[in-house]
Amino acid sequence: MKKISRLGHEARLGWTLVAPALSVIALIAIFPLGWTFWESLHLHELRMPWLGKPFIGLANYIEIAKDPRFWAALGHTAFFTVVSISLELVIGLYLALVMNRVFRGRGFVRAAVLVPWAIPTVVAALLWRFIFESQGGIANALLVRAGILREPMVWFIEASTAWVPVILSDVWKTTPFVALLLLAGLQNIDLRLYEAAAVDGANAWWQLRHITLPLLKPAILVTLIFRTLDGFRVFDLIYVLTGGGPGTSTEPVALYTFNALLQNLRFGYGSALSVVIFAITFGLAMFYVRGLGVKLGGDE
Amino acid sequence: MRVGRIVTILGAALLAACAPASKKGETVLTFSGSALGAEGTLVQKQLKRFMQLNPGIRVELQRTPDDANQRHQLYVQWLNARVGNPSILQLDVVWTPEFAAAGWVLPLDPYSPARSEFFPATIIANTWAGKLYALPWFADVGLLYRRTDLVPNEPKTLEEMVSEAQAAMARRGGPRYGIVSQGARYEGLITGFVEYLGAFGGRIIDDKGNVVVNRPEAVRALEFMRDELYKTHVAPLDVLTWHEEEARFAFQNGNAAFMRNWPYPVAAMGDTAQSKVAGKFTVSPMPASATARNGHSTAALGGGQLAINAYTDHPAAAYKLIAYLTAPEQMLERAQAVGQYPTRPSLYSDPRMRGTIGIPLENARRAIESATPRPVTPIYTELSEILQIELHRALVRQVEPQEALNSAAARINALIERTGMRKLMSGGAQESVP
Repeated sequence: MKKISRLGHEARLGWTLVAPALSVIALIAIFPLGWTFWESLHLHELRMPWLGKPFIGLANYIEIAKDPRFWAALGHTAFFTVVSISLELVIGLYLALVMNRVFRGRGFVRAAVLVPWAIPTVVAALLWRFIFESQGGIANALLVRAGILREPMVWFIEASTAWVPVILSDVWKTTPFVALLLLAGLQNIDLRLYEAAAVDGANAWWQLRHITLPLLKPAILVTLIFRTLDGFRVFDLIYVLTGGGPGTSTEPVALYTFNALLQNLRFGYGSALSVVIFAITFGLAMFYVRGLGVKLGGDE
Repeated sequence: MRVGRIVTILGAALLAACAPASKKGETVLTFSGSALGAEGTLVQKQLKRFMQLNPGIRVELQRTPDDANQRHQLYVQWLNARVGNPSILQLDVVWTPEFAAAGWVLPLDPYSPARSEFFPATIIANTWAGKLYALPWFADVGLLYRRTDLVPNEPKTLEEMVSEAQAAMARRGGPRYGIVSQGARYEGLITGFVEYLGAFGGRIIDDKGNVVVNRPEAVRALEFMRDELYKTHVAPLDVLTWHEEEARFAFQNGNAAFMRNWPYPVAAMGDTAQSKVAGKFTVSPMPASATARNGHSTAALGGGQLAINAYTDHPAAAYKLIAYLTAPEQMLERAQAVGQYPTRPSLYSDPRMRGTIGIPLENARRAIESATPRPVTPIYTELSEILQIELHRALVRQVEPQEALNSAAARINALIERTGMRKLMSGGAQESVP
């Protein structure tokens, strides 16, 4: 009896102690989410008060499902995410392996690699736009001089070429972050494993495939989660670089949502879009955590 | 819903707390505007004079962003919260119908403003459902800039403009580009399109409220714009990513024979320190097409309007200030101080106007007389977004002009249905017929 009541007391104390934190989470995460969902069930256009604010059930979601621009935007987002993350993982792993070596000036190299990551996205995007923008831009000049292009081209007026600066700038900016996460994973691998493998005559490739990569899996998966969620919410980079153009050929869902919500002030429809993005990113996170068994906490 | 209302009230309270406190018996107005540079100085000077003339009224300048989109967003948020400040709103020309239909600005008809003293197009742009909701404060108008050393005579038709551009480019030491303009996917693309559209006798929406943007005239206009890029090669493909400034740089550095732009670059381009074309350019209205029967020289209309916030406690005093700021003397002073075009035709023959705007007054007057408002409808912003996308798709050759305009028409019609505009739009308050 006594033991149980003490436990009850401890539990109550525990709840009391976490209550402030829980209420903050409720206030800043759950309440806005709930409100956005409620809003998404209404016709609410700030610019058209004469329409009132009637409850319209799932009509906003039906409009989304029927809108080809939304599906195109979803496709662009998925394309951007897959291509840029693949490149970032490969280059990031390479950089991490290099940085993990013992060599003179390692500290300096590690710091230098981080520079692109430290630059604000909007600034980085402006930089890349400047490089690619005009026919007299740096990218054109270099490619023409190298003989790759016969004459300068306008990158932003064709969908296929407009993606090049977008993906390049994302890879340039985010690879250091990926490399750093992977480096942390590499440093957890016991060096004696490599020594043992070397004694057994395993070459470097075999060591990479059978020691480094399997042991790096947790770090890779954590990186994937971060980058996939970031990729799906990509906004500022594309807003500055292409504005979603030409036409809407590089428009991601976040930009489409921004347009509906903050340009056209369609609060109901925009909220429905926000809920859809939330559901997708939540689903992705669940897939990683449950499906691939990523451990976000430190406990095994 | 209740939470929404609480937030609204909180917001309103917050704004009210920021509003100036009034002395007893004094009417306090707030004027939305810029406090920066020559514009800020001018506004403050005129407000001060107004207060001296009207001792019972005090006017406070409420700083609002100069960027039109930001200002629009702020206004809409405030007005949704029914905030009475600023009492006088500074509207972009395409916002008036939206604010009128929403009930956010008051009709000016009870004060019987002298409509006939303003350019007709500027009045039509501010009229919704038969009532006038704002007075034009200054006019912005699309102009055709021309290098007088390369093309001495004003082209009479669009076709002539293109062949002159080709001839200029073919000259030894001639400019790299024939015609530069704003072709990025944004509002500027619509203003350019409206000018070609008028030149071919087309419209976006007709007087009965029908969407006619996919009629043959409109298709020809868009084809002409596309041909300038890919067939006659007078316009560089770069313009498809250009806004006003990129076009100005190209023209100012001597790289183009013609440029479509607003009046604002005139001052900078006349300055020999930064311009290679000082003294070598002039402006005229955009010409009409020679091939279109109903085509007419057309300029897109822009500019600032003043309207009364529907939630202000002092509409009569607010109108007094609007009438004062749009009076000939103040407009003249505005032209002298910041070079903005008056909206009153009579001022263009006033000797005091000479030399204020940097170009022949006669050309400026002709351009504003040929000005056409963009579609005068409360759903303009979304309509424009649809057109921006479809026009851009056609100009980068993702789709054919006919297909792009069909798609635009279908989507604009869907927009009209969704917003319940069909009934209102057949009312007759539409684009002008020059």
